[in-house]
Amino acid sequence: MGIQASLRREHRLAVAGFATAFVLAGGATTAALTLGGRNAFFRPAVHQPISFNHRKHVTELDIGCTTCHLTVETEAFSGLPDADLCAGCHLEPQGKSEEEKKLVEMLKKGTALAWKPLFRQPAHVFYSHRRHVIAAKLQCRVCHGAIADTIAPPVRVRRLVMDDCVSCHRRERVSTDCTVCHR
Amino acid sequence: MARWGMVIDLDRCTACQACVVACQVENNVAPPSAEQATRGRAISWLRLVPFKESEHGTRPGLRLVPLPCMQCDRPPCTKVCPVQATQIDKEGLVAQVYPRCIGCRYCTTACPYTVRHFNWERPEWPEPMAEGLNPDVSVRPRGVVEKCTFCHHRLQRAKDKAAAESRPLREGDYVPACVETCPAGAMVFGDLDDPRSAVVRLSESPRAFRLLEELGTRPKVIYLSKGEWGGTV
Ligand code: HEC
Ligand code: HEC
Ligand code: HEC
Ligand code: HEC
Ligand code: HEC
Repeated sequence: MGIQASLRREHRLAVAGFATAFVLAGGATTAALTLGGRNAFFRPAVHQPISFNHRKHVTELDIGCTTCHLTVETEAFSGLPDADLCAGCHLEPQGKSEEEKKLVEMLKKGTALAWKPLFRQPAHVFYSHRRHVIAAKLQCRVCHGAIADTIAPPVRVRRLVMDDCVSCHRRERVSTDCTVCHR
Repeated sequence: MARWGMVIDLDRCTACQACVVACQVENNVAPPSAEQATRGRAISWLRLVPFKESEHGTRPGLRLVPLPCMQCDRPPCTKVCPVQATQIDKEGLVAQVYPRCIGCRYCTTACPYTVRHFNWERPEWPEPMAEGLNPDVSVRPRGVVEKCTFCHHRLQRAKDKAAAESRPLREGDYVPACVETCPAGAMVFGDLDDPRSAVVRLSESPRAFRLLEELGTRPKVIYLSKGEWGGTV
């Protein structure tokens, strides 16, 4: 899927989240609705094609983040692994899990793994991984929480909101001009 | 800290409009429908505007002048914005934060250069073009104001690249699409606070002038033109 298409879909998701909030909140105030659009509780659930187990790969098998998120240290975007990457190890079953059987099937059929975005920012925000991971030397968990220690994709994530970015920038004396992040 | 500015040499400009096209494509500015154009609702961040030359000039007739946002050092538009959706940043860029904009259009009215545009409708592209939008520039929704940004998304990229290479930003790292495209070499871009930059050298030329300088807006787009015409715009 092209970047534009995924961004557009992302926007639709956000709108859907807002709509859900609207229904749930009923006659609540505008303030509550605005919160609803942001609040993790109101975010629509994400269903991944495979229930990926970060802890197994990262902690038990000691595979580094850059093996699968190839460009996290070298580009603005971090990248998600495609089926070929998984096929490097999973053409034959490595264990006995049902989820892995499903994966092996998919890899044999050549089905693409269309991972749904979790942490995506709106299109009007510029964010760079290499800047934060290399230049600023930040740990992934500062922004992504304990995702590397989860055994299944988070159903709902707490995304970074502008205040998360700006409050750290203030602390670290990094620019908070609108033009730094907005585009 | 840099203070970004542009020099446009009207004696070199052939009015070919390559800059206009480059701008349109770079910044995801949708081509207007015939109806929008008729109603004066076409959006264009960089236009070629006809100005009448002095009767006594050596070249009578019309002169087409490329007109981007002047990125004023004292912008009249930012002062009237009730929600601070438009602000001038530390490097002199006059930014428009679309999600913040409430569409009141005070700024379009305040701008003496008429380079601000309101999105009366949701932008639409013909099929093949819709697939080729620039992901570095967000598509503006209906109901907000937009204008030339000096392609500041290119500055974001340039700074990110320089930081990755652990070096400061160099002249030429950050150049807007129009300047990059100009086949006549009539457009030059750079840091107006760097005495060694080409824009500073050119802006000190006797041919240099700014549009509507008398309003005190202090534009950072500087034009060059020979003869009396220069002063009479
Ligand atoms: C074996 C491959 C693999 C490794 C190693 C790996 N990941 Fe992942 N990661 C994935 C896959 C597949 C997804 C998408 C499925 C999901 O959401 O869980 C993902 C998703 C993510 C996401 C959410 C992406 C989004 O769409 O917003 C984050 C954040 C993340 N990983 C962080 C990490 C960190 C931090 C590490 C290292 C500690 C790491 N990953 C190591 C495969 C991997
Ligand atoms: C470097 C080799 C390697 C790569 C690359 C790799 N895996 Fe694994 N994966 C393993 C091993 C080894 C196991 C462990 C089997 C076990 O212990 O049950 C495993 C286990 C799994 C399981 C079962 C997890 C569980 O909870 O029991 C799934 C599902 C899985 N991997 C999916 C993926 C996906 C999807 C990708 C591609 C994004 C991927 N793997 C990439 C080596 C790899
Ligand atoms: C300063 C906060 C921050 C840090 C630190 C950070 N991320 Fe992210 N990450 C983000 C944001 C914001 C996004 C959403 C980016 C977007 O929408 O373009 C994101 C998105 C992602 C994604 C989704 C896919 C993509 O292409 O962007 C993955 C995977 C990911 N991060 C992995 C990592 C890993 C691995 C690390 C550590 C090496 C890390 N991140 C460190 C903020 C951060
Ligand atoms: C935990 C702290 C932290 C968080 C959270 C954080 N940043 Fe940053 N950011 C930094 C630091 C430190 C730098 C400076 C890096 C360097 O030394 O080059 C930086 C630099 C940047 C820059 C480049 C600034 C410039 O002047 O060129 C951008 C753009 C940026 N961050 C965007 C974001 C966005 C968007 C988010 C939220 C999604 C975010 N940051 C969250 C710490 C953070
Ligand atoms: C360090 C990065 C950063 C800076 C600096 C920054 N923003 Fe943001 N802004 C974000 C991110 C990330 C989002 C998207 C997440 C969210 O909605 O909070 C955002 C979202 C917004 C939104 C939309 C909020 C919503 O509810 O949809 C507005 C409005 C906004 N910013 C205005 C501004 C203005 C005005 C400035 C300058 C004074 C500014 N921002 C500076 C990162 C930044």
